[in-house]
Order: sequence, then C-alpha cells, then structure tokens
Amino acid sequence: MSDPVISCTDVHKWFGNFEALKGVDMQVEKGEVIVIFGPSGSGKSTFIRTLNRLEEHQQGTIIIDGIELTHDVRNIAAIRSEIGMVFQQFNLFPHLSVLQNVTLAPIWVRKWPKEKAEEVAVQLLERVGIPEQAQKYPGQLSGGQQQRVAIARALAMQPKIMLFDEPTSALDPEMIKEVLDVMIGLAKTGMTMLVVTHEMGFARAVADRMYFFDEGLVIESGSPDDIFKSPQEDRTKLFLSQILTH
Amino acid sequence: MAQARPTSGKPPVISIGFVAWLRENLFSSLANTLLTLGSLAILYFAGRSFLTWAFTQANWGAVTGNLKVLTWGRYPEAQVWRLGVSLLILIVLGVITWRVWRGEPSTSRRIVLLGWAISPVVLTILIRGVTLPTPATIANNLGYYLFRPDVLPLLEQSWRGTSAMIWVGLLLGLTRGMIESRRARLAALIASAAALLFLLPLGLQIEPWIFGLKIPFLIPLLVNLLLATLIGQAAGHSLANVGGVQGALPWLWGLSVPLLLILLTTFDVGVASVAPVEALPIVEPNIWSGIMLTLVLAVVSIVASFPIGVLLALGRRSKLPVVRWVCILFIEVVRGVPLITILFMAQVMLPLFLPLELSIDRVVRAMAGMTLFTAAYLAEIVRGGLQAVHQEQVEAAHALGLSEILVTGLIVLPQALRAVIPPIMGQFVSMFKDTSLVAIVGLLDLLAVGQSVIKQREYLGAVREIYLFAGLFYFVVSYAMSTASRRLEIQLGVVES
Repeated sequence: MSDPVISCTDVHKWFGNFEALKGVDMQVEKGEVIVIFGPSGSGKSTFIRTLNRLEEHQQGTIIIDGIELTHDVRNIAAIRSEIGMVFQQFNLFPHLSVLQNVTLAPIWVRKWPKEKAEEVAVQLLERVGIPEQAQKYPGQLSGGQQQRVAIARALAMQPKIMLFDEPTSALDPEMIKEVLDVMIGLAKTGMTMLVVTHEMGFARAVADRMYFFDEGLVIESGSPDDIFKSPQEDRTKLFLSQILTH
Repeated sequence: MAQARPTSGKPPVISIGFVAWLRENLFSSLANTLLTLGSLAILYFAGRSFLTWAFTQANWGAVTGNLKVLTWGRYPEAQVWRLGVSLLILIVLGVITWRVWRGEPSTSRRIVLLGWAISPVVLTILIRGVTLPTPATIANNLGYYLFRPDVLPLLEQSWRGTSAMIWVGLLLGLTRGMIESRRARLAALIASAAALLFLLPLGLQIEPWIFGLKIPFLIPLLVNLLLATLIGQAAGHSLANVGGVQGALPWLWGLSVPLLLILLTTFDVGVASVAPVEALPIVEPNIWSGIMLTLVLAVVSIVASFPIGVLLALGRRSKLPVVRWVCILFIEVVRGVPLITILFMAQVMLPLFLPLELSIDRVVRAMAGMTLFTAAYLAEIVRGGLQAVHQEQVEAAHALGLSEILVTGLIVLPQALRAVIPPIMGQFVSMFKDTSLVAIVGLLDLLAVGQSVIKQREYLGAVREIYLFAGLFYFVVSYAMSTASRRLEIQLGVVES
C-alpha cells in the first residue's frame, strides 16, 4: 500500500498552559473521507487547523504528502497550496466578487493567466450550483450559497486534500442540505476529505472512518458501522446518544 | 368587490405643496413659529450689513488687482502654462483613475498606477524645470570622473558615488535573494563587479562620513555596499514569491545603466563652453508662492504621506520588534509635537542631520515636514482600519496559500482602507488647511501673499476682502475634497447611496 497522504504522530498543541491536543495520531490514505466529531472544546477544530499550519503544533510530527510541516516557510506555503479549507463562517473576502474570490489564489499563487483561472472558476461555480452569482458580492448571497462559493474557492487551487471545519454549523437548517450535497458529490469524486461535523447523516453516507475526539485525544475511531452500531467507549456512547436523540 | 391592488412594489410618493411644506417644517407650533421668525430677523440684519459692505464699501480691487500675485505669485509669467499643464495632468489622471476603478479590475489599472508612480517625476520636471546635458557635457563630466576624481569632493559631488554604490548593492542583494538560478546570480555578480570597478575612482575620493571619523577611504564605501546588499537580499527573500516582482528585476538592472550615467555625469563643473541646455527654464522652489504653492504643498504631502502612513501602520503591527519599535517611536514622537514645531525643525534642525553637501530647498523641507506629520496621523487611522479586519480573513487567505505580503496587499489592506476613507479624507482636508502654517516659517503661501498684498499702500484697508477671498478658496477646495470622499465611499460600497 502507498504511503498515507496525511500522517500525524503524537501531535501536541498548547494554548498557553492549556493543552488542546494531547498526542493525536492519524493516518489518512488517499481518497479517504474522514469525519471527526466530538464535544465542543475537544480539540477537533484545532487538530485540522494544525494540518495547514493555521495553528502551530509544538510536539510530534505532521507529514502531508511526503512533506513534513516545520518552521520552513516554503514548506508551509507548499503544503497550504495542496490543502483546501472550508470554514464554519465561510470567510469569503467581502471586498471581492464571487468570481474574484474563486480566482484570487489560482492567479496569485498558481500564477495562472486570468482567463484560465476564470474558466476553471466558472466550471467550479457550476459544479456547486451557483454559476449565475459569479458577479455578485458575498454579502448579497445566502449563507448556503456563500459556503458553496467557499468550497469552490478552495477547490480552485486543485488541492489534494480538503479540510472542512464545521461547514454547516453556521447555516440555517434549510441550507444545510445544499452544502452537504456538494460535499457528498465531492467525496464521490475521490477527494481526500477531513470533515469536522456533527452531521451524522453525512458520515453514514460517505465517511470511510470516523474519529471521536474528547479533551484533546482520539477516544475512538473506526468505520461508521462500528461507531454507530457498536461504540466501545462510554464517552462515545454518551455523546452519540446526545446528538442522535434530539 | 375587492379593489384591485397595484402590483408595483414601489412605495407611494407623497408630494406636498410649498405652503404645506412651510407649515409642516417652519410653523408647526407656536414655539417653532417664534424660532423661525427670530432666525429670519437675525439673517436679515446680518445679511443686510454684509451685502451693504460687499457692494458699496468693499474694495474688491485688492483681490482682482492682485489675482496673479495671489494665484502664482512670483512664478515667471511666461512659464505659467507649465502650472496649467501640471494641473491638467493631475485632473486627467484623477478622472481616468475614477473611471477605471468603477469597472472591473483590468490591466488598465496597472497603467493608471504606473501613471501615478511616474507623475511626481513628470510634475517636478514641469514645475521646477529641467536642464538636459548636451553630449559634450556628458563626455566632459565622465572625463572629470574618470581622470580627475580628486576634483569631485571640491565640487561637493561625492554623494553621487555613495548613491551609485548603494543602488548597485541593493540590486545585487535583490538578485541574490530572489533568484535561485546560479547563472543569473553569477551574471548579477559580474555586473556589480564591473560597476564597482567603474565606481572605484570615485570611491577613492569619498569623504568618510561614519560618525565623522577619519576612516580609510574605501571602508565607508564598502560598508555602504555591504549594507545595501544585505538589505537587498533580505528584501529579495521576502519578495521572492510575489508575482511580477521577479519579472521587474531585469528592468531594474537595465534601468541602472542610464541611472548611473545620469548620477555620474549630470553635475555642473562650471565650464561655460559645455553648459547644459535649459529645456524648461528652472524655477527654483524658493520663489514658488501664492495658491500655486499652497496646492503644490497639499498635493505633494497628500500623495507622499499616504504610502508612508500605510507602511508605518503595517510596521507598527510587524512581528519584527525592531521595525515595530521604530515605527511606534516615530508615530508617537511626531504626534506628540505640534505641526508648527515640526515645520520649524525642518527649517532649522534638518540641516544639522544631513551631510553638508546636501542643501535642501526650504519649500522642499516644508513638504517633508508636512508629509511626515500627516503620515504619522494617517498611520494611526490606517491601524484602526487594520484592526477592523477580522483574523478569519487572514486565516482564509493563508489557507489558500497566499504569502504574507499577498495577504496584506490583497486581503487586509483593501478592506482596512475602505473602512477608513472618511477619516483619511478628513486628515487630508485638515492637512490642506494646515499648509497655511508655512507662512510662519517664511514661505509665501496664499495667506502670506495675501498679507503682503494688504501692506500695499493702495489696498491698505482691504483686510476683509483678502481674507474673505482666501477663506473662500480654502472652503471650495476642502468642500470638493469631502464631496469626492463621499462619492468614493458610495463607489466602493462602504455606505448605501
């Protein structure tokens, strides 16, 4: 079997004296869809943010696609351009149009000519279902549309890995589906995805493996079948019962 | 039967007559009626005496008879067309910028930016004038430089060698820091070595000016070269990933040939037979006066202070402690001192800090003082805007792989500057009015010229007329600036129109 795309060993992260990650190990193969869930403050967001160095881990090793994340700025830049990220609050650039949001990084980081970047951007906007909004500004779109633009923006860099940090938590209920549909479609194309979410329907549909985080540690991991049908740990059972019953 | 409702989504327009408007806005109650009548009475009496003065007693000849003096002062009348052309260039550039920025971003933006970038040189040449060297002067000066370098310090021209050295060092460093190909770096090294060899005769004559110590002649030269190379290399490293900068490098190298030539051949050796050609007769800044001086001071300070202010604001937030502390020190010192003090310092103290051979014109010193003063205030305004940009925006840009410089230039600054257009324009308006302070340090701006007009025997009493005229001028320009600011805000979607 080939080397894992993401290989994390004993990752620690402190915020001041608070230890947010207490030694996380994770290996992700190419094309896998990983769902990470757990109570708030469990370190799941912090963990995926260490993967593209939005947070700096202080101990342990993270190797992405054969490159180790160190202080070397060039390594960080190389890794970031291979990883797309979608945020809870969309974080679109409000002063740029939808099209400019999507073409920004390809033009400035990949150095594509503008025409090529726009061509790709229009295709991506079609893929996420909002080609007609290209000239609008983020503030004129609904939350669901904004999040789909954010996905298109991340995909425009043609990343090998996509990180989703609670992509539907800030959305009104009726908009969650449109975003999840895009994500499911993406998962079916064979994209390597790490998704922090509590959308268990999504996990059941496309996840290859699930990780349950609590207090900075991976408490339990396994296939969706294992996790939903026969969770081993009490904390996993308790948490699942809390989010699945309401 | 149900009445058909109008289907248009527009709210009904309520129109009222003039009398109804009066009743509603001016006479709606007894108290309002009294206030209205009282105000009308005050307006009537004040207005009547003002109009009586303006039409029967005022000696407007003080203004109309001195219009030329008030406008361009002592600028030679045959050359006034140059001022007109300069103003026209500024207006045209402004209008084009406005139109280009309305539309989609395109390559024309780059052309406009290039226009603004070279405009200071063009306008300086136009307003101040230019002398072009004849081929004979170039040959003559090069001859002096190559064969009689010992004359140069006597001509106070050794700074040219220093500048040339720093330029070469910066280019060398930039190339080393930015380019990874060995061949290009070697070429840069050879080019620098050639330049160095060429510059060496001048270097031998450079006055040592490190803390005034007598140091063997080559050391200060090499220190300059080394420092410039290191700075250039650091800059090159951080600029390495910025699009377009690498492409500019060959141009910079190409540019350095004419630049070094100009630097090394344009000094005046005082040989009459090879005197340079006056393409545009020189009008030294120290005779600039009137509205022209006021406008030049304002435009220069506005255009120059803006980039400096932005850099200071960014520097104040820098992660590098030295940069941060230098910026904080500068901003706080300048903001802690009144403008008039800075103007006096620029006139009196600046010559103490500069090498003797650099004597800067008084007008230019005032410009520098006003620019630095405005820049410090702008820096704080811009910093406020920077703080208003959410950290998530920076994270999103980082996650896309944008480098630190790109994040600042494409994401943070555009949003920050948009948020602070009103205070920035306010600062510019206030700076424009503060140009009148240069009268105190002896420059002849509009107000100072006005005061000298009042002292003429025939217009001795015309104080009010002159000050009214000056006041009107300041008001019209300031009002135009704030109108432009408001339209800019609407344009950029900061406020609803």
